[in-house]
Amino acid sequence: MIRPLISLLAAVGLAASPVVAQAPEYPSMPPVGTPKPFTLPAAESYTLDNGMQVTLLRYGNVPKAFVGLRVYVGNLNEGGDVWLPDLVGQLLREGAGNRSATEIAEAAAEMGGGLGTSVGVHETVVNLPVLSEFAAEAIPLVADVARRPTFPQSELERVRANLQRNLAVAKTQPQTAAEVALAAAYYGTDHPYGRVLPTDSQLAGYTIDDIRRFHRENFGAARAQLYVAGQFEPAEVKAAIEQAFADWEPGPERLSLPAEPRPGPRVLLVDRPGAPQSTIRIAFPAPVIGTEDDLGFRVTNALLGGAFNSRITQNIREEKGYTYSPGSGIGFNPNEARWTFNADVTTAVTGPAIKEVIGEIARLQSEPPSAEEAAGMRTYLAGIFVLQNASANGLIGSLATRDFHGLPASWLEAFVPGVLAVTPAQMQSLAREWMPLDKATVVVVGDLDTVEAQIRELPELEGMPIERVDPFAVK
Amino acid sequence: MLKSFWLVAAAAALAVGVTASEVGAQAASSAPSATAERLQIETRYYTLPNGLKVVMSREPSVPTATVGVYYGIGFRIEPRDRTGFAHLFEHLMFQGSENAPKGTFIGSINSAGGTLNGSTRFDYTNYFEVVPSNALEQVLWLEADRMARPVIDQEVLANQQGVVANEVKVNVLNQPYGGWPWLDMPQLANENWHNAHNFYGELDDLEAATVDDATQFFESFYRPNNAVLVVAGDIDYDVTQAMIERYFGPIPRGEPVVLPDISEPRQDAEKFATKPDVLAPRPAFSAAWHVPERGTPEWFAMGLLDSILVQGQDSRLYDKLVRETGIAGGVQGGINSGLGNMFNYNGPMLWTVGFVHDPDKSRDEITAALDAVIEDVRSNPVSEEELARARTKMRSSLYNLADPTTRFGLVDLLAVGALWEDDPNWVNTLEAGFERVTPELVLATAREYLRPTNRSILVVQPSAAQTAGTGDAQ
Repeated sequence: MIRPLISLLAAVGLAASPVVAQAPEYPSMPPVGTPKPFTLPAAESYTLDNGMQVTLLRYGNVPKAFVGLRVYVGNLNEGGDVWLPDLVGQLLREGAGNRSATEIAEAAAEMGGGLGTSVGVHETVVNLPVLSEFAAEAIPLVADVARRPTFPQSELERVRANLQRNLAVAKTQPQTAAEVALAAAYYGTDHPYGRVLPTDSQLAGYTIDDIRRFHRENFGAARAQLYVAGQFEPAEVKAAIEQAFADWEPGPERLSLPAEPRPGPRVLLVDRPGAPQSTIRIAFPAPVIGTEDDLGFRVTNALLGGAFNSRITQNIREEKGYTYSPGSGIGFNPNEARWTFNADVTTAVTGPAIKEVIGEIARLQSEPPSAEEAAGMRTYLAGIFVLQNASANGLIGSLATRDFHGLPASWLEAFVPGVLAVTPAQMQSLAREWMPLDKATVVVVGDLDTVEAQIRELPELEGMPIERVDPFAVK
Repeated sequence: MLKSFWLVAAAAALAVGVTASEVGAQAASSAPSATAERLQIETRYYTLPNGLKVVMSREPSVPTATVGVYYGIGFRIEPRDRTGFAHLFEHLMFQGSENAPKGTFIGSINSAGGTLNGSTRFDYTNYFEVVPSNALEQVLWLEADRMARPVIDQEVLANQQGVVANEVKVNVLNQPYGGWPWLDMPQLANENWHNAHNFYGELDDLEAATVDDATQFFESFYRPNNAVLVVAGDIDYDVTQAMIERYFGPIPRGEPVVLPDISEPRQDAEKFATKPDVLAPRPAFSAAWHVPERGTPEWFAMGLLDSILVQGQDSRLYDKLVRETGIAGGVQGGINSGLGNMFNYNGPMLWTVGFVHDPDKSRDEITAALDAVIEDVRSNPVSEEELARARTKMRSSLYNLADPTTRFGLVDLLAVGALWEDDPNWVNTLEAGFERVTPELVLATAREYLRPTNRSILVVQPSAAQTAGTGDAQ
C-alpha cells in the first residue's frame, strides 16, 4: 500500500500541446515552462598526509550534519570467506575505543543520531547523522568505530546467530533466489560478485581471530574517504578530523579485482512449488560508468523499464495487469556494469510476460522512439538528478559514487547536459549494441510444474540453453 | 542562495523573521545552538468555497515543487463485503480523467522531470508529486481534473484488479512473514470491524468490485469538502493561489461526509494468536498495545516511550532483546508502525513491536524479557537524562522533514494537520507537546497503556517443510 505505485501510458510531449479531448468548461492543459537552473554547491576536498580523502560539503536547509566514513573494504576483499566482512561490519558497533556497544549507541542518540555500519561488495560504511552542533563531536566516535573496534569475543556468537537468521530468511525470498542464481551464472562463483551467500558451515566457522585479522589487514587510511555534509562549522570539523584520523596507518592500497562477466545465452529455472508468482530477471552487460555510452544507455533504460511511464511498465502492468512492480536498472561496478530487468508476475502469465519484455526490447531495436517520447525520458532523468542532489545527504551520495569510480570532478556537472544530448537514434542503436537478445541471461523463480512449459514454448528463447538450478545448493 | 526559514531560533524569531533571512551555507556557522531551535514551517492556509482546504508552504532553496492531495478516507472505511476497496480505488484514480486519458497523468509528470505516487492509510488516501517548479501548473491541472472527472470503467477496473492482486502476492502471499505484523496485528488486537479487517483485501472481494462500487465510493468520499491540497517548495503564493482557484474552484462540493463509528472498547484481557507461515524459516514474535488518544498529553508521552523503548540501538528493548539476551538481531516497532507514523492517523491505534527469533528461544523466555522492560517503565520513572535523549531523537527526526528532496514527509504533516486539526501549523506545535512531558506522565501513561491486559501477542510459526526455491529447512 505504501510501496511505490507504478503506472503509465503514452507519454505526453513536453512542450507540445497535448492532444486531449476537452470538456468545454475546463481549460486546456497548461504547458510546462522552462526549468530554472539548478546549481550544485562547491565541495571542499583534501587529503590527509596518510592518504585519507576528506570531502566537506556545506549544503542544505536543515540544521543537521551527516558524517559518513567509507572504507573501500567489502566482500571483494573476503577471499573465499563469504560474509566475513559482514560479520566484521556488524561487530564494529559492539565496542570501540573505550566505549561499550551501549555507550556508542547512547552517545550517538544524544547527538540526535544513530550510528550505522553497513557492508557492501566494495565498501564498509560508518554513518552518523547528527544535529549540527554535534558535527565535530561525531568525528571521533566514527573514528573509534572504524579504527579501534574491540571485537569482544563475548558478542560474537550472538551477532553470528543474527546473520545466520538473516541468511535463513533471505533464502526463503524469491527475489534473493533470483539474484543468487543470476550472480552465480553471470559472474561465476570464483569471483566475489558471483558468491552472494555463504554456506551455513562457512558462517558457523569464523573466529574472533579471523575477524580481527581481516580488520587489521584491510582497514586503513589509504582506503578511506570521509564525507561531512550539511550545516556545520568547518574549522571545528577540520580540526576534529585531523585529531581523529591523522595518525591512522595508511594500510594497504585499494584492491582491484575485475570480474569477467559471462553473458548468456542462458535460461535458469529455480523451482518454488506452489508459488503464486514467478520472479523474473533478464540481464545484459551495460556500458561502464563514465564511458561514452553510459548516459545514453541510462536514457534507454528509463524508456524501457526505468521510469514509471516506461514501455515495459505500460505494457505488462497498465495494459495487461500481469504484475505490480516491474522495473529495470543498471548496476555499476568498477570495470563493468549490468542491466537487469526484474518483475514478479502472476504464475499463469510467466511466459507471456517474458515475451512482452523481450518484444519491447526488440521494438526499440527496430525503430527509434519518437522525438517526444525521447525528450520526456531525457527530461525525466534530468529532473531525477535535481531530486537526488537536492539535499546534503543526497548530494554526498553522488559525490561518493563519483569518487568511488575515479571519475573527474566535472562528472556531476556534465551529467544533465550529457543526458539532454541523447538522440532517439542513439537510443535505438544502444539497445541494439548492448542488448543482443540471443545472448540474454534469463532467470525465473516460480512453480516450475506450471511455468517451465510456458518458457520452453517461447519462440523468443528458442535455441537458448534452459536448465534448472538450485541457487542454495552446497557445492 | 539557500534560504532557510524552516527553522528559526525561538529567541531570534522576531528579529530574523520567518521568510527572508539569507541563511545558507555561508551563514551556517552562525546558526544558533539547537537548544533554542524549534521546527517552524511557514504556511499560508485557506479554504475554497467548495470546502477544499489549501495549504501552501514556500521554501525555494531547490527549484522543485511538491503537490499532495489528501482525501479524508482511509482503509478503515470501506464496504464490509469489499475489503481492500479503498486501496483498489487509490489505483483507479491513476487511470485517467476526462481531459487527461489513461497514461497522461504519469506520462506528464515523468516527462516534466518529476515523480509521483499514492498510498492508502488508516484515515486518508493521498496522491503526491514532486516536479521541477516550472511544471507546477500542469500538476495542479491534472489533480483537479481527476478530482472532478475521473474515468473509471470496466476496462481500467479489470486491469487494476490484476495489478492489485499482484501487489498482494508480491508483498504478502509470496513472502516469508508477508503481512506480519502490520497487516495481521490490527486484525487480532482490534474489536471494531473497521479496525480489524484485512486492509489489503481478500482476493475474492477484490475480484467482486464493480464500476458502480467505484462510482459510489467516489461520490461519497472523493469530494473537495473531504480533501486537502498542499503545495510546497519553490512557489509564489499569489500565483499558486490563482492557479488553484482556477482549476479546483469550480469543482462542486459533495454531501457532507459521515464516517461510521470507528472507536475501540478498552481492552481488559490479553489476546494471543498464532499465524502459521509455510514460507517462514524461523518463528517471529510481536506484541501490540492500544495507545492513548492522538493529541492528548498521554499520547505525547507515548511517543517518547516509543523512542525510549524501541527506536534506535540505544533503546531499552534493543538492549534487552538484542544485546543482553540475544533473542533477536533487531527490534522493529512504533506507533502506526508499518503503515505510517505516530502523527498521520486519526482514530484507535496500536504501538507494536516485533522480531524474528530462533526456535530455541521459548515464548516464556521471550515474554519474560519483554515484561522485564515494560514493567520497569510501569514501575519506575524514567530519568530526566533519558527523557532528554528521547526528545533529542524526536527533534532530529522532525528536522528531517525539512529535507527538500521530495518534501513528502513535510506535506504529509501539513496535510494531516489541516485534515484533522483544521490547522496545518499543528506541525509547529509538536515539539512543545513533547517538551511538556514529565517523568511522572511517562510513568502514568505506561501504567495504563502498557498493561498486560491491553496487550495482544501474535506469533508466527513456521509450518511446513521447504524446498530449494523456498529456502532451507531448519
